[in-house]
Amino acid sequence: MSSEGEASAEITVENDHGLHLRPAADFVRTAARYRSRIQVANLTRGDSRQANARSLLEVTALGIDRGHSIRLSATGEDAEDAVKALTELIRSNFGA
Amino acid sequence: MSVALVLVSHSARLAEGTRDLAEQVAQGAVPIRAVGGAEDGSLGTNAFAILEAIESLDTAGGVLLLVDLGSAVLSAETALEQLAPEKRERVRLADAPFVEGAVAAAVEASVGSELEAVLATAEAARGQGKLG
Repeated sequence: MSSEGEASAEITVENDHGLHLRPAADFVRTAARYRSRIQVANLTRGDSRQANARSLLEVTALGIDRGHSIRLSATGEDAEDAVKALTELIRSNFGA
Repeated sequence: MSVALVLVSHSARLAEGTRDLAEQVAQGAVPIRAVGGAEDGSLGTNAFAILEAIESLDTAGGVLLLVDLGSAVLSAETALEQLAPEKRERVRLADAPFVEGAVAAAVEASVGSELEAVLATAEAARGQGKLG
């Protein structure tokens, strides 16, 4: 049993408005279901900032727009599940 | 039971607009009251209206107050003084930016976090730049 799992994924955000307010709130709520520490980076903007996936204001400040690629990195006991759930949320275009 | 929010602004329209934003991110999971304007409808704050908004909520899950400007703090504190002690201890006044604090707190409350965690999330908005 691994208590310090790690998982990461790179994914392109395809929904119309990117990670603006409502999708970002859905993202943060999904992240909140997991105990792992989850970080998000906007690869398209090419800076090194990492947002805490549990913080709406940090996530929205990444300026993730439609077509941007992001990297999710999680550390913790449920890291793999967390990355999978967030990836699926983005792939589903936030249930749209 | 979720933490509830009371949004206090000098302007009724600012309070209501901020409530609209907070409700959208909370997806209906958080009771949110908007209180704005002075008693005569001009710009200002009204301790009695703040008290009424708090009293209209079930305080068992806790209530977080956010204010738009420092001059609303006095009205908020006057309202808090009128509450029964057992209610008063379930209410916190956030030292946070109004819009950012309200939406961040709404999301935090919507996932079932406790009052102190919702307060901490609202106050963490102080250090969060818009440009990252």
